[in-house]
Amino acid sequence: MNTRRDFLRQLGLTAGALPFITNPQSDAAGSSNPLRKQRLVVLFSPNGTVPWDFWPEKEGADFDIKPILKPMEAYKDRMLVMHGVCDKLKGDGDRHMRGMGCLLTGAELFPGNVQGGSDTPAGWASGISIDQELKNVLQANPATRTRFGSLEFGVMVPDRADTWTRMSYLGPNKPVAPIDNPYQMFKKLYGQMEDREHIASVLDSVQADLKKLSSVIGKQDRALLEEHTEFVRAMEQQLQADDSAGINHVVPQLERNVKEENDNIPKITRMQMDLLVNSFVNDFARTATFQITNSVGQPKMTWLGIKEGHHQLSHEPDKNVEAHEKLTQINTWYCEQLAYLTKRLAETPEPGGEGSLLDNTTILWGNELGQGNSHTLNNIPFVMVGNGLDFNMGRSLKFDNVPHNRLLMSIAHGFGHHVESFGRQEFCGEGPLSLT
Amino acid sequence: MPNHTPNAGQHAVCVAVLLLFLPGLTTSAAEIDGARVYAQKCASCHGAAGEGTPDVPQKLFGDRSAFDLAEVITRSMPEGEPEECQGDEARAVAKWMLTEFYSPQAQARLNPPQKSLLRLTVSQYRNCVADLIEGFTWASQPGEKSGLTGRYYKSKSMRDSNKVIERLDSMVDFDFAEGTPGEGFDKPEEFSVLWDGSLVVDETGWYDFVLKTENGGRLFVNDTQNALIDAYVKSGDTDEYTGARFLLAGRMYPIRLNWFKFREKTSSVRLMWKPPHREVQPIPSRHLSPEHTSRVLVVETPFPPDDRSSGYIRGTAVSAEWDEATTYAAIEVADKLPEFLRSVARLKKGDDEQQRREKLQKFCQDLAYRAFRRPLTDEQRDNYVDRHFVDGTPDEIAVRRCVIGILKAPWFLYRDLGDPNDLHAVAERLSFALVDSTPNPDLLQAASKEWIKSDDGLDHYAWKLLNSYRGQVRLQEFLRVWLNMERLHEADKQADLYPSFNREILSDLRTSLEFTLREAATSEDGFRQLLTTSEFWLNGRLASFYGHDLAADTQAFQKVRLEPTHRAGITSHPFLLASLAYQDVSSPIHRGVFLSRGLLGRTLKPPPDSVSPTAPDLEPHLTTRERVIKQTSPQMCANCHTMINALGFPLEEFDAVGRHRTAEKDRPIDATGGYRLRDGRMKQFRGAVELSRFLAESRETRRSFARQLFHHMVQQPILAYGADTIDQLADEFSDSDLKMNSLMVNIALMAARPAGKTDP
Repeated sequence: MNTRRDFLRQLGLTAGALPFITNPQSDAAGSSNPLRKQRLVVLFSPNGTVPWDFWPEKEGADFDIKPILKPMEAYKDRMLVMHGVCDKLKGDGDRHMRGMGCLLTGAELFPGNVQGGSDTPAGWASGISIDQELKNVLQANPATRTRFGSLEFGVMVPDRADTWTRMSYLGPNKPVAPIDNPYQMFKKLYGQMEDREHIASVLDSVQADLKKLSSVIGKQDRALLEEHTEFVRAMEQQLQADDSAGINHVVPQLERNVKEENDNIPKITRMQMDLLVNSFVNDFARTATFQITNSVGQPKMTWLGIKEGHHQLSHEPDKNVEAHEKLTQINTWYCEQLAYLTKRLAETPEPGGEGSLLDNTTILWGNELGQGNSHTLNNIPFVMVGNGLDFNMGRSLKFDNVPHNRLLMSIAHGFGHHVESFGRQEFCGEGPLSLT
Repeated sequence: MPNHTPNAGQHAVCVAVLLLFLPGLTTSAAEIDGARVYAQKCASCHGAAGEGTPDVPQKLFGDRSAFDLAEVITRSMPEGEPEECQGDEARAVAKWMLTEFYSPQAQARLNPPQKSLLRLTVSQYRNCVADLIEGFTWASQPGEKSGLTGRYYKSKSMRDSNKVIERLDSMVDFDFAEGTPGEGFDKPEEFSVLWDGSLVVDETGWYDFVLKTENGGRLFVNDTQNALIDAYVKSGDTDEYTGARFLLAGRMYPIRLNWFKFREKTSSVRLMWKPPHREVQPIPSRHLSPEHTSRVLVVETPFPPDDRSSGYIRGTAVSAEWDEATTYAAIEVADKLPEFLRSVARLKKGDDEQQRREKLQKFCQDLAYRAFRRPLTDEQRDNYVDRHFVDGTPDEIAVRRCVIGILKAPWFLYRDLGDPNDLHAVAERLSFALVDSTPNPDLLQAASKEWIKSDDGLDHYAWKLLNSYRGQVRLQEFLRVWLNMERLHEADKQADLYPSFNREILSDLRTSLEFTLREAATSEDGFRQLLTTSEFWLNGRLASFYGHDLAADTQAFQKVRLEPTHRAGITSHPFLLASLAYQDVSSPIHRGVFLSRGLLGRTLKPPPDSVSPTAPDLEPHLTTRERVIKQTSPQMCANCHTMINALGFPLEEFDAVGRHRTAEKDRPIDATGGYRLRDGRMKQFRGAVELSRFLAESRETRRSFARQLFHHMVQQPILAYGADTIDQLADEFSDSDLKMNSLMVNIALMAARPAGKTDP
């Protein structure tokens, strides 16, 4: 909200502002730091899944992979598939709204004026989301503090703020808008570094002109210009010194002029995921959300040959085989995106540490519904990937209708943040789900 | 001290003064050699020409009249043995000192003030950037109508077919309760309103906007794409939303509020703001206009404050912080520009890549021309624009580098570089003087076509600038500076003594004074009105507090006569009276300093020893007047306080919150005071009304006003324009029947004309 201060804080051009550009931790990391990095990414796709093409039949390590999860086969041993986890939140708002607003908060929606397809109108969620909660914890500790703490990515999120388009919350009534434009995200992450180059590119003209003016102006006024020239020179030297000190991070190259439109969803998703992985390499943040479209999302996956919008298809009854083949295709595509992110993280070494980024990162893939046509909030298709939280991975788990608040608690505990409840307390009585 | 004695007695003393001293000055004092007396009795401490010595390092200069100076010498010099230099001798030495080195004129002769190289002040930087962009688009001027256009729809969606009402709403402050805004609404639970138009802003600073509604809405201020307040989702009990914008004075900004009711039982909507130095209030009608206008590019980057050590703001110093701020600001402009680019560079949908690039390059060249305020040399065009458009550099990066380079260039940051006689330099000086900013395209054209070569031409463009809303606000801004209003924002009062004097009252008082300033700035007779008006702007809250019979629930400010036998002019405006007072008691010293330094233009040096005022409870039996006289009676204090106190005492009719009073500590108020004119005569007055009459007629008030206005507009020492410039301006001011805008034009022309050329 407070643009004046944010503006200053986010700009940093000279050494005085360097802590914001580079996290001292990333240089000092490794053996000298007993705390290993831990990261969380929440990946969201909408409208529920196709249960029979998603859930493994077997429990345990030796589980079967159904069509939707096929893209993740290579990472089977780093994955948890969690059946039986349910969003139990009641109250105002239709299920697409509650499914979205309560997914990461575990807290009801406030009454409000957003009217869904059924039920009473509602407003925003009444609690903080798990990604922001963990960000606060990590940012409070100098050893785990990063430049941004958290990053909120989106892909083709409609340009309106409502209960269906927001899942991350700073607190009650405080939704966070995801950034769905890769160029805007790039600017947030690397804008300063680009500007350093721009400034460096103009300072020589400025200096030359200041000198020229000093030579033709009266003696008394010359002092002012000479003083000014000194400041400009000092800035130029600073920029050069910063460059040779290797301040400039790996800055990803983005394809230019990719417009925000339906058919570019695959391309934008890749760009955003590359930016996400890069931001982890630079240690800009430890938690992130990645929201593909929105609750009730209507992408038309023309690149799969599908002409109908996703949400529209998701309303078709189970017996419509053709529609469900398409829904399986659609969900498989989402899983391919998960697989791409997983692969990128697995292939990228942990800077200053051991192993790969995936060894220190856990991805939670979630959805606002269990299945689209019934609008059920039971059996949300939750999948976890990666080893950021020391869970015992490579299993299919079948829980008995447990509130998802307990899953959120498990994640908090995985970060060493031992909350006694998260979101609505009555759903937390039995504590975190045991995943280790 | 004659001016502290009751009226009749004082009169007698004054006559005596006239009879005894004036002839003395012209005859016997002339026979004594002032130079010799000074050398014998003064120079050993003060130096041969008042330059000071190790024992008494302070330089001797000031603006006392010969009469005053002689009196100080008689009373206190040489230190410890004032009897050594008395009467004619004192007068002779005073007269000699005055002409040799003491007076401002002598100082100007000894150390001729120079014009300095100036960089843009913070205000100029912000104005220049906003005007550079505006020059490529357009802007509205406030029209006759005030308020916003309200379009009322019988559904949440604002479709034309659902529109029920379209009207001008003076403010957005409605409580529809469980009902609808009028006839023709189908459902009381669902309707919507779109308000739009412009904000009219006459003071620069941060404005906090507050939307209060139990329903939903989005507020757009100076940005039609991104909402400043997005309260479209009603959630829980939240019914108040805020957002802030930095706005520059003298401009209009697009504003739009989309508001709707959906299934809530009741509805209400209130659009408020908190202007600088004031409290949250519904946005008043006079700051709203149904006209449309285009967005303004406002730089929000904080800058270090400008130098004001010479008594007025000017850009004569640079620092690392300033240099860094100019970098941040250039980046801010580069960040914001893309949203303006389509209109400023005249980009069209059908443009191919080549056309687009050419238009962008042309725009950057024009931008450099306007930013540098003169035609570009080939070298400048190449360095600041063309070289960034080399092959392979993407358009947006080329534009970004151009913008950053142009805004970092000395040609933009410094004023008046190059040949001072060039007409572009003339245009530049004229524009900075009149609107504190870069010349607009109209004036640049007039420069290149030589339309401002003649005096008539220049005069024409001066009036054109001044007659814009920017010109009016420029004068209003100066009046605030003249009254030192920026520094007067802490006037908390002791709650047990003034229980109902709260922040709202203080905020209303400032608004009331603003009304007076605005009215004066647009009136032919504004200067006299400022000093003598018996009409003040009050709302119900102020009326109740100050005992006027205007209905207490009156929201809008109205002009009323307030205690006309006691109050006249801004010097008895309760805002100034309350601000120039302590938390518990009035302060004749603060009021007197304000009158002598601010209005009469007297130089006051800081007290030789820092003294804290005697607390009232240490002298419980004394009135404020008595306590002040007692404390300032030592010779060291009296040299200045004789004048200060006598100017402050007439306002003793008003207490610490500016309410009229007739007694203090059960004794009647003594509101007599006076001022010693430069010729030695004592002018006496009692109470605020006589004081205001004196100020309005005093040449010193006019001289001081002209001098301060000059410094505010030109930011160069006025004596650098000739020793008689102040008197010349003051004469013209008097001759024009005190028209402030004529004075402004005279000053602007004086500043703008090529060096050496003066008014015929």
